[in-house]
Amino acid sequence: MNGKWISSGLQKKYLKYVMALLLLALFLSCVGVWLGVHRNVISVIVDKYEFMNEKMGLALDELYQNTDEATAACILDEGVQKSLKNKGLEETEKTALSKYFAYIDLDHVAEYCYVDNKKNIYTKSYSKITYKDFEESGFAEKLGDDYAKTQWFWAEDKLFGKEDRALFIGRYVHSMDYSHEPGMLFLKMNADVFSDLVEDRRKSADEIVVGIADEDGEVCMSWCPEDFEIPEQTYVKVKQIAKSRESGMLLEEKQIKGGVLSAYRQGDSGMIIFTLIPERVMSKGMGQIYMVLIGVYLIVMALAVVASVYLSRILTRPIQKITKTMTAFDGKDFSRTIELHTNTELDQIGQSYNELLNNIELLLQEIKDQQRELRTSELNMLVSQINPHFLYNTLDTIYMLARINGEETTMRMIQALSKYLRLSLSKGNDVVTVEEELENVRCYMEIQQIRNENLFRYEIESEVDTKSRRMLKLILQPLVENAVKYGFCDIFEGGLIRIHVWETDGRLTLSVYNNGIPMEQETAEKINALGKLPVSEMKNSFPDKQRGYGVVNIITRLRLKYGEDVEFIYEVQKDGTECIIRLPVDGTKENED
Amino acid sequence: MERSVSFVFRWMGRKKTRIKRALAVCVLMGFMVYFVAGCENQVTYREQSRQGVVSIPVILTVDPSSGRKNEEELVKAFNQEYQGKYQVKVEWIMETEEEYRKNLKRQNVTGELPAVITDLRVLPSFYQMMVNEGRIENLAPYINADSEWNAMIEPEVREACSEPDGSIYLAPISTNAFSCSGIFWNKKLFWKAGIKKFPETWEEFWKCCDQLEEHGITPLALHTEGTAWAPMLLATAELADSDSGAEYMKQLYPDSYQNENGIHLAETLKRLFQYTTEDALHTDFDVAYSNFVSGKAAMIPNGYWMLDQFPEDFEENVCFSAFPGNKLVSSPETFGWAVVSDYSDEVKQGAVEFLKFRTKFNQKQRNELLDEKADNAPLLQDYIDAFNGKPQIVPNYQVKWNSILQEETLGDCLPELVQGKMTVDEFVTREDESIRQYEEEQ
Repeated sequence: MNGKWISSGLQKKYLKYVMALLLLALFLSCVGVWLGVHRNVISVIVDKYEFMNEKMGLALDELYQNTDEATAACILDEGVQKSLKNKGLEETEKTALSKYFAYIDLDHVAEYCYVDNKKNIYTKSYSKITYKDFEESGFAEKLGDDYAKTQWFWAEDKLFGKEDRALFIGRYVHSMDYSHEPGMLFLKMNADVFSDLVEDRRKSADEIVVGIADEDGEVCMSWCPEDFEIPEQTYVKVKQIAKSRESGMLLEEKQIKGGVLSAYRQGDSGMIIFTLIPERVMSKGMGQIYMVLIGVYLIVMALAVVASVYLSRILTRPIQKITKTMTAFDGKDFSRTIELHTNTELDQIGQSYNELLNNIELLLQEIKDQQRELRTSELNMLVSQINPHFLYNTLDTIYMLARINGEETTMRMIQALSKYLRLSLSKGNDVVTVEEELENVRCYMEIQQIRNENLFRYEIESEVDTKSRRMLKLILQPLVENAVKYGFCDIFEGGLIRIHVWETDGRLTLSVYNNGIPMEQETAEKINALGKLPVSEMKNSFPDKQRGYGVVNIITRLRLKYGEDVEFIYEVQKDGTECIIRLPVDGTKENED
Repeated sequence: MERSVSFVFRWMGRKKTRIKRALAVCVLMGFMVYFVAGCENQVTYREQSRQGVVSIPVILTVDPSSGRKNEEELVKAFNQEYQGKYQVKVEWIMETEEEYRKNLKRQNVTGELPAVITDLRVLPSFYQMMVNEGRIENLAPYINADSEWNAMIEPEVREACSEPDGSIYLAPISTNAFSCSGIFWNKKLFWKAGIKKFPETWEEFWKCCDQLEEHGITPLALHTEGTAWAPMLLATAELADSDSGAEYMKQLYPDSYQNENGIHLAETLKRLFQYTTEDALHTDFDVAYSNFVSGKAAMIPNGYWMLDQFPEDFEENVCFSAFPGNKLVSSPETFGWAVVSDYSDEVKQGAVEFLKFRTKFNQKQRNELLDEKADNAPLLQDYIDAFNGKPQIVPNYQVKWNSILQEETLGDCLPELVQGKMTVDEFVTREDESIRQYEEEQ
C-alpha cells in the first residue's frame, strides 16, 4: 500500500486497528485450537484408528468363529467319528478321510494333520508325517486341558517340516458316543490369514503401526511405516494385556512414549491385535489445521485490507474534501462551498459548513455596515460636539437680544431649543432619566408649537418615578416628530399629542398617541414585524430613507441596547395612532447578547 | 511547569486509553477462550452399565406337534423368583426328542453345550461318557449342603439318580408322580367299537385291539424311530406281566436278549405292529401322536407330560389308563437334567439353583396334583387314579438298556421284524450284537 491508496490518517488508523484485531483473532484462534480443537482432533484421529483396531479385532473374532465352525464340522464328520471307534477305519476309508480335510471350509489353510486315537495320521498325500514326528513336534501339549476348545497358537512349524513360524489351529476330537481317547486336529494357516485381516484396512492408514501378538504377548506379525521404529514400551504393554483373561478393547487410547496405543484381545484365542498411532500422525493432523487456519486468516487479512481501504475511502474522501476546503478558506472567498453526495452524515456536515460560511458572510457584511454607520455616527457626534459651549453662549446672546427687543416668542423658542440641545447631547451619555427624556420631548414639542401655531396641544402623564427611572435617550422625540410630520400633515389646528409613562407587568411602558390621520394599517404591520427581523435586515424594510428611517433607527437602537426584551408596537385607532414601547424595568440594563 | 502538568494529564489520558484497550482485549480473549473451552466440553459420554445378572444358557424344546414350549412355566417362574440375580436364557428349538439328543452329542464334542442339559439319562452310553470325562457336575455336594433341597427329594428319586459311589450327576428334580407312563386312549373310538372300559388284562387288550379293528378302527399309534418309545413301552409293560419278565426289566444292561424274555418282547413288538397305522415304520413319535390326535388310532402310550399337550377340542375324548395288568412304566431319572462343567462357577451355581427350583416346582405341582380333586380335568383325574391305584412300576428300558440297541438296532431292525424280513431270532441276535458292540466301545 502506498500513499496513493492510503493518504488519510483515518485510513491508516483504521487499517492499523483492523490488522491488530485480525492478528488478535488469529492469536486467539490458535490458542483456542490448541486448547480445544487440539484435544478434539487428537481424539478424532485416535478414535478413528481405535475404531479400526476394534474392527480388526472383530474380524479376528469372526476368523476365530470360522475356524471354530470349520473344525467343528470336521469333528462331527461321520468318518472322523468312526475313526475314533474301537474298530477304526478301513484303509480306503482312511484315504478318503485324509482327502476330506483338504476340502475343509476355511480359507488360508496351508497344511492339516489329524491324529486319531489309534495313532493314525491323516495329512495331505505328499506329507510323510509319522506319529513319531507328531509326538516330537510337541503340538499335542498345545491343546491343553480344554475339552473341545479351538486353540490358536503361533509357533515354529515343527510338524510339517517347513520350520517357519505360522498360526496353527488345533482341537481335540472327541467321540460323540463313547468315552474314548480323543483324536487331535491341527491346521497350519498361511501368512495371508492375518495379512487379509489387516492390509485391506491399512491401505488407508499406512501411517500407523498394526501388530498381532499371540496369547503370550509375543508379536507375531507387524506392519510398520517406513522410517519408524516401534517403541519398546509397545511390546511391554502388549505383554501386560496378554496376561488378562478378558476380551475386547483392553487398551484404549493409551498414551505411551512415541504414540497412542490401542489393543483388542480376542478372548477365545488370546491373540491380540494392536495399533500404535505415532506422535507425528497426530501432529500432522494439527499442522494441517494450523496451516488451514493461518491460510484462512491470511486470505481474510488480505480481503480485510482491500475492503478496509475501499470502505475507508468512502469516508475519508469526503472528509479530505471538507478538510481541504476548510483549510483553504481565507476568510474572503465565500464562494468555495462543499458539495457532497455520500448519503451519510458527512453530507450534513458539508451542508452545515456551507450554511456556516453563508452566515459568516452575512455577519461580516453586517459588521462592516455597522462599523461604517458607527464611524458616521461618531463623525456626526464629533461634529455636533464641536464646542457646544460656543453654541449655548450664542443662543444665550440671541436670547438676551430677543429679551431686550421684547420678543417673547423668540425668547421661548430659543430657550426650548437650548434645553433641547443640552438634553440631546446629555454629555455624550446614551442613557438618561425618564424625566430628562420627557423634558427633551417637551422642548421639542414647544419648538414645534411655536413653529406651527395652534396646530396641536400636548399632554404628558407619568405614573413612575421619572427621576430614578432611566431609559435610552432620544426615543420619544422621533415619534413626536413623526406624529407632527405625518399625523398632522393635513390639519391646521386641534391636534393632540399625549405621552403616557407607566409600568405594566414590571416593565417600563411608554406610549405616544396623536389624534392625527391614523397610520396606514399596512405600514403599522410592517413596523410591528420589524421586531422579528434580524437587526441587519430591518433597514431593508424601508428602502426609502425618507419614510420609516426614524422608526427603524429607534428600534435598532432599542434592540442593540436591550436585546430582544423590547416591544415596539404601533396601534392604529379610529381617531389616531398610538405607539407603545415596553422596556425592561431597569432601563439602564445593557443588552448582553 | 504548565507544560509538565498538561503532559501528565495527556499521559494519564493515554494511560487510561491503554488500560481500556487492554481490558477490552482481555474481555475479548476471555470470550474467545470461553467459547473455545465451551466447544471442548463436547465430550462423548460412554454409558456402561453392568447389570450383574448371571445368565444361564439352556436349550429347551418346543413340542413339534402342539407348538407348546416345554417347561416355559418353570422358566418364567424361576426368572421372576431370581430377578436381578440369575436369568435362565432359553434357546427354544423345535426338534423331536431324538434330534435333540443327537444335538446334545454334537454340542458336547464342539464345546457348545448349554449350562443345563436334559434327557441325558435316555442316552446311557452318552451319559456314562459325560460322567467319565467330567463333563457334568456332581450335584451331591450341592444337595448335601442344602438341607432344604435335600428334604424335597423323594428317596426313590434320589436313589434312582445316584451312582453307586454316591455321586449325583442327574438332578433328582422329578417325582414319581410325574414320571409314569401308561396308555392314552380315545373313548369315542372305543365306544364306537362297543368297548365301554379299558382292558385290565393283556388278554383283554389283544381282544380290544381285534374288536377295534373289526369296527375299522386302527387300535395303536406306533413308530419305530426315537428308540421306538411307544411300542417299547407297551412291549416292556407286557413283558413285566410275568414275574421273570418283571425281573428282567430291572436288570441294568442285560447280558443277552436271546432268551425267553427277549424273544417274548420281540414277538410282542411284532404283534403290536399288526394293530397300527401304515406310516408307523421309519417314523418318530410325532407321527404316532398326529395319528392319535387326528382320530386315526385309538391308543398311544406315553407319560404324564403329555396330559396338557392335547388340543382342547380333542382332550375331552382322551382317557388315561395304566397298562393292562395295572402297570405303569417309570424311571424318575429319565428326565436327566444335569449341569455342564464347562461354565464358570457363578453360572454353575445359578444352574444348580435352577435345578433346585425345578425340584421345588415339581414338588408343589405334585402336591397340588395329589391333594386336589381334578373335577374339571377328567384326563388328569384318570392319571391320578392310575397313579394312586397301586400300580406295578416297570422300569424304563431307556435307562436300563444300552444306547446302541436303542439308537441304532431298534430303528434298523424293528421295521424288518414287523415286515417279516427278519425273524424273531435274528432280531434278538441283532440285539445281542448291540450289547457286544456297546461293551467293545465302552
